[in-house]
Amino acid sequence: MTARLPAILRTTPIRLALVLVAVFSVVSLLSLGATYFITQRSFDQAIRADLTQDMAGFASAPGPRALSQLVEAESRVTDPARLVLSYLGPDLRHYGNAVVARDDEGYHIITDIPDSPQIEGDYMALTASLGGGQLTIARSLDEIAALREVFLRVLGLTLIPTILIALGSGLFIARRSAEHVTTIGRTLDTLTGGRLEARVRPAPNWPPDLATIGSRIDTMAAAQQAATAAIRQVSSDIAHDLKTPIQRVAVHLAELAERDTLDPPARQALDKANDELDGIVATFHALLQIAQIETGSPKAGFAPVDLATLAADFCELYEPAADDAGHVLTCENTAPIRVLGDRGLLGQILGNLIENALRHTPAGTDIRVAVGRDGPDVILSVTDSGPGVPEEERDLVLRRLYRMDRSRTSPGAGLGLNLVASIATLHGATVTLTDAAPGLRIALRFPPAPH
Amino acid sequence: MKLLVVEDDNTTGTYIARGLREEGHSVDLVTNGRDALIQATASHYDVLIVDRMLPQLDGLTLVKTLRGAGNQTPALFLTSLGSVQDRIEGLTAGGDDYLTKPFAYGELSARVAALARRAPTIEQETTLHAGDLVMDLLRRRVTRAGVELSLLPREFAILEHLLRRKGRVQTRTMLLEEVWDISFEPMTNVVETHISRLRAKVDRPFKTELIKTVRGAGYRIDA
Repeated sequence: MTARLPAILRTTPIRLALVLVAVFSVVSLLSLGATYFITQRSFDQAIRADLTQDMAGFASAPGPRALSQLVEAESRVTDPARLVLSYLGPDLRHYGNAVVARDDEGYHIITDIPDSPQIEGDYMALTASLGGGQLTIARSLDEIAALREVFLRVLGLTLIPTILIALGSGLFIARRSAEHVTTIGRTLDTLTGGRLEARVRPAPNWPPDLATIGSRIDTMAAAQQAATAAIRQVSSDIAHDLKTPIQRVAVHLAELAERDTLDPPARQALDKANDELDGIVATFHALLQIAQIETGSPKAGFAPVDLATLAADFCELYEPAADDAGHVLTCENTAPIRVLGDRGLLGQILGNLIENALRHTPAGTDIRVAVGRDGPDVILSVTDSGPGVPEEERDLVLRRLYRMDRSRTSPGAGLGLNLVASIATLHGATVTLTDAAPGLRIALRFPPAPH
Repeated sequence: MKLLVVEDDNTTGTYIARGLREEGHSVDLVTNGRDALIQATASHYDVLIVDRMLPQLDGLTLVKTLRGAGNQTPALFLTSLGSVQDRIEGLTAGGDDYLTKPFAYGELSARVAALARRAPTIEQETTLHAGDLVMDLLRRRVTRAGVELSLLPREFAILEHLLRRKGRVQTRTMLLEEVWDISFEPMTNVVETHISRLRAKVDRPFKTELIKTVRGAGYRIDA
C-alpha cells in the first residue's frame, strides 16, 4: 500500500482534489482577509472617534484643578487594561491610572498595580495640552487583536475540513478507479502481446468514463482481431493463388528439362531459370512464414528444447560445408540448456544465423556458435571474425528486406535475419548485434524455461 | 502400385500423374475432394496424394473422414502453405507425410515410394549388405572388400539409412528430416558435403560406386 501511494498521488482524482483545495484556500484567504481588513479599519476608526470624544469631554473642564479632579475620579473606575488616563498637571503632579513613559524602544504604560507594573498590548493614544498640563488618553487595541485571532480560527475551521474531505474523496475515487485502470492496462498488455481475444469487459458498476474507455478498447480489439483474421485469410489465399502458378512454372521447366534436344546454351538458360525459381520460392516461403509467425500464436505447441544439443547438431550439419568454403565453424559444447519453444523454429534460427555468417564473410573467417547462461537467461550467440556490420546498420539488418550495400551481390533475399528476429520475438527472446572486434556477434537472450 | 492423386490444378495434377505412370504405377486423378472420397472408399490404393486446398471438400477433411471410416491408406499432403503449424495440422489430421509446393517431381516420387513401404517391413537384421560392403550394426563396423572403413557417427547413420532403403531414392530433405531430425530447407549444400565426405571413404578407394546420385532427386544405393 505504501509503495502504491506515490503512484496514486499522481492519479487524476488526487490531482483534481489538490487543485480544488488550493483554489478553495486562496478564495477563503482572500475573502476572509478582506473582511478582516474592513472590520479592523472600522474598529480602528471607532476607537479613534472614542478617543477624540474622551478628549473633548476632558477639555470641557473649567480649569487645571477641575481637570485633575475629573481625571482622578475617572481613573478610579477605569481599568488601565482598557483605557489609560494620564494627566501631568501644571504643578508637575501626575494624575491618572497609569503613567505613559518613554524609553529607547518607544512608549510604555506603567501602572501602580503590583507585580505587573508594565501593561503589554497595543494601545492607541491621544495627547493634548489641557489646562496648562498634558493629558494622554490611550485605548487598548486588544479587541482588534482578538478579532485577528477569531478570523484565523474561522479560516482554520473552514480550510481543514475542506482539505480533508477533498483529499479523502479524491483518494477514494483514485483507489477505486485504480483497480479499473489496472484491468484496462492488463488487457492492453495482453492485446499487445498478440492475444487479440483479450477484452476489458467493464462491469456495470464502473465509473462511466472508464466504462466508455473500456468498451471502446473492446470494440477496437474486436476490429483488430477481425482484421488480423482477414489478413491471415488473404495471405493464405495469396499463397494458394501464387503457389499454383509457381508450381506450374516448375512443372513446365521440368518437362522442358526432360527433352534430349536441348543444346548447351538452352540447358544453361534452363538451369538459371530453375535457380531463379528456387530464389522466388525461398523468398515467398520466408515472407509467408514471417507473416504467420507475426500474426499467429503457436505458443500452445511450445515444449522444452535443449538448445545446446540443437546447436551442436547444426554445427555438425554445417561443418563440412563451412570447411569446403574455407571457414572454421566451431561450437562451444555445454551441458543441456533448455528453453521453452518450438524445436523446428529454433533450428531455423540456428540455420539462418550460420548461413548468414557463411554467406557474408570471406574465406578463412572463424564462426563460433555458443549456448550459455547469463544469470537465469539463456544466451545463444553466433560470432564471426569477418568484416562486421557498421553500428548504424545493426538495427536495420533485422528489418524485412533490408540489405547492406555490400551484400547486394551475394545471394539471399534479406529475410534471414528478419525471420530470426520474428522467431526470437515469438519465443520472448531479444536479438542484439554487437561488434566482435573484428566481426559481428549476434546474440539471442531467451527467458529461462519454467520447471 | 495403385495411386490416387487429388489435385485441382490441372497442370500440376497431369504432370504428377504422368510421372508416376512412367514409373510404372497405376494412377487415378481426381480434381475435387468429394470425387476423391468416393474414389478412395470404392477401391483400394497404396498411397493417396492429396492437395490440401480442394474444391467442395478440403484435403484435411477428406483424410480425416477416411481415417474416421477406418481407412489407413498412407496419405501424402501437398500444400501451398508449409509452415510448422500447417505441417502439424496435416499430420494430426491423419496425413503421413507433407510436401510443400512447389516441389520437384523427384521429391514426390521418393516420398511416395517411402510411404508405400513404410508400414509393413521393419527390418530386424544385424548386418546390412550392398555389393562388397558389409555394415555390422551391433559392433558399428563397416567393411568394404574386407577393408574396414573408419566412419564418423553421422556418416555411419547416413550410410545405414541408405542401406535400409536399398533401391529407393532418398532426397536431401528426407535425409535432413530422418538422419538429422531437422525440418528446414538450407540454402547451402549441406547434405551434399556430408555425402561427398561419405563417398570419399566408401566409394573413392574402390572401383565401383555404391552411392548413386539421382539427378534432380537425391541419392540411392542399388539393391
